[in-house]
Amino acid sequence: MKKKIISLFLAGTMVTGMLAVNANAADAVDLELFSTKSENVSTLQGLIDKFTEANPGVTITITAPSDAGTVLKTRLTKNDIPDIIACGGDATYTELQSAGVLEDLSGEDYLSSIQDAYWQMLYDVNKEKEETAYGVPYATNASGILYNKDIFEQAGVEVPETWTELQSVVDTLEAAGIQPFELTFKDNWTCLPPWNSMAPVIPAANFTDERKAGNTTFVGTHEEILEKYAYLLEHAQKDYMGTTYSDGNKLFAEGNAAMMINGNWAIPEFLNSNADMNVDMFAFPSTDDASKNTITSGIDVLLAVSSQSDDAKKAAAKEFISFMIDAENAQQYIDEQFAFSAVIGVEQTNETVASAQAAISEGKVSNFPDHYYPSGFDLASILSEFALNVTNGMDLEENIQSTLATCDEQYDVANVE
Amino acid sequence: MKRKKINIAFYIITIPMAVLFFMFHTFPFLQGIFYSFTDWKGYGNWNFVGLRNYLQIFKDPNVIKSYLFTFKFAFFATILVNIFSLMLACGLNSKIKGKNLLRAVYFLPYMLGVLIIGYVFNFIFANLVPMVGEFLNIEALKVNILGTKHAWIGVLIVTIWQSLAFNTLIYISGLQTVDRDLYEAADLDGAIGLKRFFKITFPLIAPFFTINMVLCVKGFLMAFDQFMAMTGGGPGTSTTTISLLIYKKGFQGAQFAYQSANAVLLFIVVVTISIFQLKVLEGREEKVN
Amino acid sequence: MRVTGATKRKEKVNWPATIVLSLVAIFVIILPLYITVIIALKSPTDMNNLLALPKKIRWENFSDAWKMTDYPRKFMNTAFITVINMVFTVITNSAVAYAITRNRKKSRFFNMMYYYFISAMFIPFNVLMLPLVKQAYTFHIDNVVGITFLYIVFGLPMNTFLYTGYIKSVPEALDEAATIDGANPIQIFFYVIFPILKPMSATVAILSFMWTWNDFLMPLILLSKQEQQTLQLAQYVFQGQFNTQYNLAFASYLLVLAPILILYIFFQKWIISGVASGAVKQ
Repeated sequence: MKKKIISLFLAGTMVTGMLAVNANAADAVDLELFSTKSENVSTLQGLIDKFTEANPGVTITITAPSDAGTVLKTRLTKNDIPDIIACGGDATYTELQSAGVLEDLSGEDYLSSIQDAYWQMLYDVNKEKEETAYGVPYATNASGILYNKDIFEQAGVEVPETWTELQSVVDTLEAAGIQPFELTFKDNWTCLPPWNSMAPVIPAANFTDERKAGNTTFVGTHEEILEKYAYLLEHAQKDYMGTTYSDGNKLFAEGNAAMMINGNWAIPEFLNSNADMNVDMFAFPSTDDASKNTITSGIDVLLAVSSQSDDAKKAAAKEFISFMIDAENAQQYIDEQFAFSAVIGVEQTNETVASAQAAISEGKVSNFPDHYYPSGFDLASILSEFALNVTNGMDLEENIQSTLATCDEQYDVANVE
Repeated sequence: MKRKKINIAFYIITIPMAVLFFMFHTFPFLQGIFYSFTDWKGYGNWNFVGLRNYLQIFKDPNVIKSYLFTFKFAFFATILVNIFSLMLACGLNSKIKGKNLLRAVYFLPYMLGVLIIGYVFNFIFANLVPMVGEFLNIEALKVNILGTKHAWIGVLIVTIWQSLAFNTLIYISGLQTVDRDLYEAADLDGAIGLKRFFKITFPLIAPFFTINMVLCVKGFLMAFDQFMAMTGGGPGTSTTTISLLIYKKGFQGAQFAYQSANAVLLFIVVVTISIFQLKVLEGREEKVN
Repeated sequence: MRVTGATKRKEKVNWPATIVLSLVAIFVIILPLYITVIIALKSPTDMNNLLALPKKIRWENFSDAWKMTDYPRKFMNTAFITVINMVFTVITNSAVAYAITRNRKKSRFFNMMYYYFISAMFIPFNVLMLPLVKQAYTFHIDNVVGITFLYIVFGLPMNTFLYTGYIKSVPEALDEAATIDGANPIQIFFYVIFPILKPMSATVAILSFMWTWNDFLMPLILLSKQEQQTLQLAQYVFQGQFNTQYNLAFASYLLVLAPILILYIFFQKWIISGVASGAVKQ
């Protein structure tokens, strides 16, 4: 009976074997591309199709799961690293890079096509700020306030440049019976954009480094951010805690609110729901000094290669990255994604994000502060808790103090190496 | 019985499975215990840190909060599932029309995966319930319950919806063991309705109550799928169960060993509660009988 | 519940209970399923009245979901896992339980095995999760075949428990008679005992089937490759890409629920009694 079992098992194995392996030629290379953004899947697929057409021996499958960060970390634990990784220049990247599973790409000839500013940004999130290219900055993003141009026009309001102006815009909109903000806090991560817009501007410039060294705390430096944060909540739709990112995008695209605090990555989602939408973005007016307010911009997508793959796969993966960086393809990516390119000479010309592009060209940008927080520090949940407390009618001062105290506590837990 | 030599074939059957079981079940379990005393990240170098991880757990508000939440959830889910399934079982066991059809319908949720059920109810809570709330003008129903401090109740409803079938089935099996003649005797004594239920029926099906309680508590302490589907542990961290915490944080390098300690603690909690329950409930059964 | 006409053997139909139970069944159980079906059939522009029947049935929802999630591949993976697991679980676990039950009294080894497997029932999967993921790398079990193998092994404690209870009730005289006829234990098991175990095997088969078809956590942590995913996992993975295309998402859910609903309609009585006899033995 053992024999029977073994033969049955072998038969079973063969069946799956056939399922798992495509019947392709002996020298075919199957690559897996892992994207941490579900928004860019169709664009990536289009580029992949173009690539595989020119390279018939290569197939590339995209994986883009929900909660991609956790899934990627699970795979890191299994040492099952996707051949190509497209992720943000954030803590997830740092985690992979410091685990030593990313290929050192120095020496690839296409590295010189990338703007220096973004190399610096990448090195900053490498372990001990090592100046080595473990990934290639590809697309960059912009986060601020997305607004419906038609609604603004109809209500007769101008783009606000200071916090006070924003408040008066909100008042005008409300007087006209228009919902000022659409927030989508059912998805935790959408609690981050308002914080990410204000945190680089309001506290002292060197806060992230100082905090890391333990020389300062969130308590005593970030109160103003949460006060303004609470103001936004007050003027958002009623069920902002129960609205998902997808639903909120749809409602915003249909004109249910005038503004949404998020990034350019949401624009393709709006246009999916309403192709005629007139949308643009402006810098979050964190303070009353217009010259200080910035768009938050960072590496939205960097491309990295697993050092664990075999040489044929690595070569094909590098080939693919080189293809992606090609000006024509880089242009296609940013056009479809309303993103900005890290590739020299590739400009975003779509007027939907014209103001953001202008701010970027003028250098009125700051980095995402949360990309520099330690990986285990779950700021999104803390902010979601803060917003929940607001809906429950908790005293604001008390809420702010306890939220910031939690920030410090959790930061310290996560910062322990 | 004669003492015979045991045929070697019995060993051939058992030993390979035992070895595999040890390799893939017991060994990982022991590994987990081992990791919990180290600072291993899942890769690279590691050191023994003694009880540091365990001491940290008791100071970590995230872990304490998730334990308290999981206990609360398991407590309410167990009680409510048992009350409803007992009621349902009594109903389905009585003389009703279309008994088989109704049983089939009530058992249906057991067949469906919790994840998908969670997604379907996500939609219902986000879209349908607020619509009904607007229509009836009930403030509390106008928002998505999953985005409020009552989010856990939304998940609880789905959990009950899904778990009811299995527990009802156990109670029906129990009720079928009750001799009809006993009821007739009871009726003659004037014990009817609820009184008859508590005096006669319940003591007789007490063993089934024990099974249900133990299975429920154990299952609900592990709750994972429905929270992944419906809240992802939010809003904030208000619906983060222990399993969710281990999954979400365990794979983040710095917390691998730490969450291993948490898993070991979870094991101790589950075993303790299960044994305690069996002892208490069985003791009570004996008293009743 | 209340029995009227106490001494009569023939009871009258309890109409109040029938009506209450039917209403509850319709609103609590049927309604959510009804919503799932109609949303899967509607077009995105027809979502104003969620409860109304679709104005025009949009079958493209199903074909789109079919293509998007690569349904055939995911279905084959899931079917492979459930069927192979079911077959092997029934054969191997019953054999082990047989060996243990028959020799427990005679041998300390088998008695020990019994307690070893039974006590493992107390170890929840979540406790093994982290180390198991590490092990997945060493043994390459992070694929369809590997996870099937794990299910067979992990089901052992529960199934040993279910089978031993049943085997105890099979008289040993049967074994002895067969031994006299010259059969060895493996032959005895397959020709004499295994057929008798049929009712319990049915229970074990149904419980394993349900477990593996609907399991989410184990595939989530082990099966990361797109082409290795199960149906349940695929729903989670595509959640972000479904976006607000609820019709597409629900069509996809329905495609996952359909096979099991069809099985249930045909084998409903069998499944219920199978699960019941397993549940009670616990």
